[in-house]
This record gives sequence, structure tokens and C-alpha cells, in this order.
Amino acid sequence: MSTKKEFILSGGKVVDPFTGIEKIMDIGVKDGKIADPKKLKNAEKIDVSGKVVAPGFIDLHVHLREPGNTAAETIKTGTKAAAAGGFTTIVAMPNTNPAADTAAAIEYLSFHAAQDGVVKVYPCGCMTKGLKGEEMAPIGSLKSARVAALSDDGRGIQNHELMKHIIEYAKSMDLPVLDHCEDNNLKGDGVMHEGVWSTLLGMKGIPSASEELMVARNIIFARDVDWKVHLQHLSSKESVEQVRIARKRGIPVSAEVTPHHISLIDECIKKFDTNYKMNPPLRSEDDRKALIAGLADGTITVIATDHAPHTPTAKMVEFDYAPFGIIGLETAVSVCLHELYHSGVLSISDFVAKFTSGPAEVLGLTNRGFTVGNDADITIIDTEQEVTIDADKFQSKSRNTPFNGMTFKGKAAATIVDGKFVFNEL
Amino acid sequence: MPAKKEVCNAEGVDAAVHKVADGIISEFLDCPTREFAIIGIHQQGVPLAKRLISIIESKTGYSPELALLDISMYRDDIGVRQNLPQINETLIPFDVNDKVVILVDDVLSSGRTIRAALDALTDYGRPGLIRLAVLVNRGNHEFPIGADYTGMTLAVPVERKVAVEFVESDGQDRVCIIDWKKRSSQEDN
Amino acid sequence: MGKFNWTKKDLLSIYDLSAEEISFILDTAEEFKKVSQRNVKKVPALRGKTVVNFFVEPSTRTRMSFELAEQRLSADIINISASSSSLKKGETLLDTIRNIEALQADLIVMRHSAAGAHAMLADKISCGILNAGDGAHSHPTQALLDMFTIREKKGSIKGLKVAIVGDILHSRVARSDAWGLLKLGAEVRLAGPSTLVPREFEAMGVKVYHNLKEAVEGADVVNLLRIQHERQQAGFFPSTGEYAKFFGLNEETEKYLKPDALIMHPGPINRGIELASSLADGPRSVILEQVTNGLAVRMAILFLVAGCVKK
Repeated sequence: MSTKKEFILSGGKVVDPFTGIEKIMDIGVKDGKIADPKKLKNAEKIDVSGKVVAPGFIDLHVHLREPGNTAAETIKTGTKAAAAGGFTTIVAMPNTNPAADTAAAIEYLSFHAAQDGVVKVYPCGCMTKGLKGEEMAPIGSLKSARVAALSDDGRGIQNHELMKHIIEYAKSMDLPVLDHCEDNNLKGDGVMHEGVWSTLLGMKGIPSASEELMVARNIIFARDVDWKVHLQHLSSKESVEQVRIARKRGIPVSAEVTPHHISLIDECIKKFDTNYKMNPPLRSEDDRKALIAGLADGTITVIATDHAPHTPTAKMVEFDYAPFGIIGLETAVSVCLHELYHSGVLSISDFVAKFTSGPAEVLGLTNRGFTVGNDADITIIDTEQEVTIDADKFQSKSRNTPFNGMTFKGKAAATIVDGKFVFNEL
Repeated sequence: MPAKKEVCNAEGVDAAVHKVADGIISEFLDCPTREFAIIGIHQQGVPLAKRLISIIESKTGYSPELALLDISMYRDDIGVRQNLPQINETLIPFDVNDKVVILVDDVLSSGRTIRAALDALTDYGRPGLIRLAVLVNRGNHEFPIGADYTGMTLAVPVERKVAVEFVESDGQDRVCIIDWKKRSSQEDN
Repeated sequence: MGKFNWTKKDLLSIYDLSAEEISFILDTAEEFKKVSQRNVKKVPALRGKTVVNFFVEPSTRTRMSFELAEQRLSADIINISASSSSLKKGETLLDTIRNIEALQADLIVMRHSAAGAHAMLADKISCGILNAGDGAHSHPTQALLDMFTIREKKGSIKGLKVAIVGDILHSRVARSDAWGLLKLGAEVRLAGPSTLVPREFEAMGVKVYHNLKEAVEGADVVNLLRIQHERQQAGFFPSTGEYAKFFGLNEETEKYLKPDALIMHPGPINRGIELASSLADGPRSVILEQVTNGLAVRMAILFLVAGCVKK
């Protein structure tokens, strides 16, 4: 790992959606900032020819489990996993225990992230107290504590009137709202997508309507309040279509999709492996194809992992009883390169945008990209190297991934945060 | 030696079957006559049992009753061998109690099959008398069980298997010695 | 009967079995049926083997059938129910099973209310695991005994029209029956109220009917499933009376049946709801034979999985 304060990444293909650059060129780094390589006298030259050099990847959806479930993950291990996956910035979901619904909780997270985290952690505050969906959380205080966004992730707010108030209030605080779109009654005690496979397997299903109804609700409020609402982890074809139409009409709604929803489907559950159990569930092949089409035509602008660690003991139970969620930081880039870049669906520029300009726009971040003076947050990707996923070697404390043992072409090669290498396999 | 070697041809088999039949006839059907039944042990004890009945009938006019016995449920090697044998039909159309029966099998080797057959048979009743007839007695007894009527004796090393083939099931009559290590899917002479 | 090797240490579901494997089990069961009909109803096949009956979801009939099958094979038996196990104290299923395995159990027969419980365990333990029912997913021994009964009466299953009527959505019996019958070449019809028999089932290769007459007309076998009061409370249909009127097999609807059609039911019967007493006890009914055959089939499957070499 380079500890030099000055270095030049030389010969790589720079792909920067913020400035529109896509060409082979050198990137200079000095004192943690992007610098003009021509002005660097003592710089170490690091050869990155053949690699893609992109602005630091941002994951809008990560569960760090600290405080409350540090057996599954900690800020330290979670951020190390992020670094190994090529992410320089992650947004930490607030469904910790206790929930991040007070300034004190946010400050706890920020303090420990500064101490133990190896990548940048942006806290996300709760929309409602205790994630109960009843009373608004102290959003103003959360804003002062510098949350990057608001979410009740893990749950969706059922009371529409409350949701509308939250969006209005968030607007006044200039905070993005990230919603986990789910109708509790329709979800019931379902454990997988309601469709052919839940019928064949005799399992309780979660209908697509559960998500679609809340997507509709959120689009309506984004329109009425005229404030951006970001829809988390879309899983259904009809959800994508609703977002497509809304965006065409200029409604300020954005959407994200996870790597697992674009690569896996409900049929995978026929082996009852709980590494395929998450919420929203894996849906049908039609849904999967529609999510990819949504990425292709720009309806979906963000890829986020919904990294959800669980201890092996927690997951190694009957499918019905297993907790929802799988990890994803360390497999995201490989899986997405496979499904989107190597398959020809997205150009490298559009691919990089889903991890950079897309999330940055949701959060309202400026000063990203390779403009001189910006923070030197850089992600270097090898799009060609074959990698076989070995969960035992993960930086994450948890192992709940469905991709173990699978081989992909492409991976994160190095991750630089504020000019310092936090992951280096160059 | 090649994987499979014939050591006895059709004539030899026929002579051996007749020898067994003659042995049975001389014990049971020369004076005084006693009725008896023949029980073929699956699998190759069955065609042999049928042949013996046919020969006995043509020589003496007496046709013993035929029963079929499968001993898979009585084996002592369940869960230890690589394959589980197919269970064939057990058909005992008479009351076993006090009956005189002759167990018939193609090869007597370790004696374990016969031990299982004895256990199976005695679960059906209490026979009056049990005799054992085999076409080939190859030695390597692991249990103290001997045949009462033997068609032929072969001294065969323990690592080789003796296989009897009958026209009814295999297309020809012969006795072969098989080398386990060289066994392949192709037969060769 | 040709040669066949049985290589599975577990019986998890009919879905995993090939048509050949199913036929082999039924052939093996024929011989075991005879054991129960002779004087000494016992064979030493599983002598010295320990079988644990672990009924996390309670059962009377299936457990009795398994226990008797195990005894007739001379196995040593232990019975555990969920309430008497440490699952109550919060031990995970996997830990409970590992403890049982540590007692050198050879086979575990388990019924569980969560689908996929057996599949989760099978590759983590070295002893065999037999599925006596998992949630609404699978009940392979029931399907095997149903197929055995049909085959015994009709000679072969290929080409037969089999109608299964009732709460298909929540029925592991229906799913296992359907998979097995399809594999052996039958035409399978699933029938019942539309709330309980969604069209998605057609992805299996069956035909879905929401009309009893159409479902049973021309059928060689009609298998009735028990309708449960809980479904009425959950809003799947208005009342058992209405169910009986539209989907019950009774003196009214009997006229749709072929004269030689078989009437089957996995039991216990709600007499007068899904099946009238006169039909349950009548000449077409093979319901009691299903019970007898269940014993033979379970002996066969215990014999086969116990005989499989452990790796």
C-alpha cells in the first residue's frame, strides 16, 4: 500500500461520469486531493494500465449492525468489506439497536466510523421514532448531526398521511428520503415471492403488489410535495414501469436495485438455501429482466447492495424462520460487471454512473469526480480478471452470500479514500 | 488371467444338475418315498430349482412343489455393501410347518446366504427337515454350513468370484471364474 | 424387475426422485407388504439400527405407521416430539439433530411445520433423514403409498387420470402426489375453490379445475383432501357447508364418477364435508388399503435408505 502523499495513477482508462471523461489518462493525487499529474514532482508512478479508474463508488444501502448486532458485523469489518468491494463511501442504514433516531445515536456512529472505519460512512437517520412508523423522528436534530438521508429501512411506513408529512418536513431540511416500499398487510408472513415457485414449494408468498402499491404512494407524494423520494431495492417489473412513467413526467423520484435482484430469481429457493432469502424477495425472470431494462434506459440510476450481515447461526435454520438479508459489498462489482457490462447491457461509463453519479445525485453530493481539488476517492476496477468468490476470505464478519464458489470476470482492484489506499490488489 | 474365464461348459453344467437331481432322488424317492418341496433362493437358485423339478419329474413322475425365497431382508451386510440388491418375489405356496424342504442355490461360498435363507424360512414356520442342494461348492466357507447335494466342487482363490450362467436368464449354460480387479463392462473369454 | 442401485441416504421429496427410483420403491414395497400378511410379521433387516422419530409437528397416524414399520424391521426406536425436545429451550433445529446424531442414530424420521427443514439438514449430517412431512411442501411417503395403491388396483399408473380435490394450496400431500403421478405418466387434475387452487399450479404440468364435475368426470382415481376449518376463518371460502355443496363427493356428485373409479383419502376424513360416509365406506373406496400400504411403503423406504452406504 502506498503511503506516499503524492502519487500518479498512470495509464488507466479514466471513466468519470461527473465530467463526462472516458479516456486513458493519468490521475494525480496529493495530500488526499485530486491533483494535476503534471505538477507533481516527487510522485510515485503507479501503473494501472488495463484497469478502469473511476471516482469512488458509493453504496447507498449498507447495514453495519453496530450498535446492536456486532456478532454479525462491526463498523470496522463492514467498512473493510466495503473497501474490498471497491466502495469509498457507504450510507449506513439506521435500523441498528438502538435505532439511529436521535442525534446522540448519529454522533455515536460518526465517532466510531471516524475511529474504526476505513471508508467514509454517511449516517442515515430514521424517519420515525424507533422505526415504529408512528411518530416522526427529530429530523431537525438529525440534520444537525449531519445525516445524509432519512430512511426507515427494514420497514416501510404504512400511514400515508405520516409519510406525506415526513417528505414535506424532509424537504424543508433539504434531506433526501429513502423508502423501503412495502405494504405490511400484503407482505404478511410471506418468505419468498408470491408466484409459481411459492405455489409449487408450498411457501407463503410476498406479492409484488406489496411493493408496487407503496411505489405508487411515494411517486404521488414526490409529485405533490415536489421533493425527491428515492425508492430502495426495487424488485418488481411494475415498480420499474411506474418509475419510468413518473420520471418522464419530471416527478423527482429515483430508484435503486441490488446486484442480487438482477442476477437471481425465485426458482433459486427450491433448494431452501437461506442465502436466497431477503426482503424484497427474489422475483421472477420477467421481473429480473425488467430491472435490467430499467438500468439500461436510465429509469434506475443507482445500484446499491443492501448489505445485510447475519451470523451463520442465525441463517442456518428453517427457511421460514431465517432472517431476511444477504451480504453484498464484496461481490457487487463482480456480479454487476457480469450482468451489465460483459453482457453488453451497459457501457463502462453507464456502469460506473450507477455507482457514482447516480447515488451522488440522490444524496445531493457535489465535488465528486476527478476535478482538481476534490477529495481523492478513487475506485480502480479490473474488468477482465477472473475471480472465484470465496466467502471464507471475506473481510465481512458474515458469510451469508449466494455467490460463494461462483466465478466472475472482473473485480475491484484497488480502493483509495482521501488519497490513501484502503484496499490494494493491483 | 482375463477378467472372466469359463471353467465349465454347457455339458458340464448339465451333468452337474443331473448329479444333484440324482442325489435328491436317491434320498427321497427310492424306497421309502417321502414328499418334499424345493425352494429356489433368488436369484440363480430359481432357474436351478425349476430344472431340478423338471428332471425329477421326468425321471420319477413325482413333481415336487416349488417355492421362491428372497433373502434380502435377512442379509447381514445391509448398509455395508456398495449396492443394495433388488428384492425379488418370495412365494411360498404351502405351509412350512413340518414340511420337508430342499433349499437350492447356484453357488455355496461363505455360507452367509444360506444362513439368511434359514432365518427367512424359519420365520414362515417350523420345517420338519431342511436339506441344501448347490450346483457349485467352491469352498471358502465362513460359516459352518455344508451342502447335502453338490453338482461340482471348485477350488477357487478367495479374490475370485464364481458365476453360474443359465440359458433361462443369461442365454447359455456355463460356469465362469471372474477376477474382480480386472472386471470391465466387456465380457471376454 | 431389472437391476437397480439405491444410492440416496435420505428421502426428502418426490421431486428429487426419478421415475425409475419411484418404481423401484414400489416394487420393493410389494415384498414388504407380504411380511405383514404372514404369521411372523418381522424381518431382521434393520436389526441393531437406531431410528429416531422426531415429530416437531405432531402426528398420530403417520407416526404410528412409521413406528410399526420400524418395529417390523427389528429396528430400535426412539420417539421425540417438539414439546419434549430442547427446541423449546431455544436450541436450533440443527443443534438438536446434531445431538441426536451424536447418539449414533442411523436414521431420523422427521415431520416439521417449516418447508425445507429436511433439505436444510440433509447435507450437514451423516445419518439418513426421512421426510414425514414438511410444512405444505412435501410428504413423499404419502405419495408413495398413494401410488402403490393406485398401481396395485389399476395395474399401472401411466395414462391414468387422477383428480385431487380440496385445499391444494396448503397440502403437501397434493404436491407430492402430483409430482409422483406426473413422473409416472399420469394425467393429474387439481380441483377446488379458486382461492385454494391457483392457476400457478399448472406450471407443474397439471390441469387446474374450479368445478368438481369437470374434474372427476372420466377420472380413474379421485383423491379427496381434508378441508380445514382454519381456512374458513382465514377467508379462503365462506363455510364448510358451501364447500361440501360445491366440492364434496357425495350421493349428489357421485353420478359424475366412473363406475370403476377409485376413491382415496389420506385421512382423517371429515365425513359429510369432503366425502360422504356412503362413499368412504363404499365399494370404490380404497382408503383403508392406503393405510395398509402405507406400512409396506414405509418399510421399503426405511430398508432402502438404511441400506445405503454412508460416506
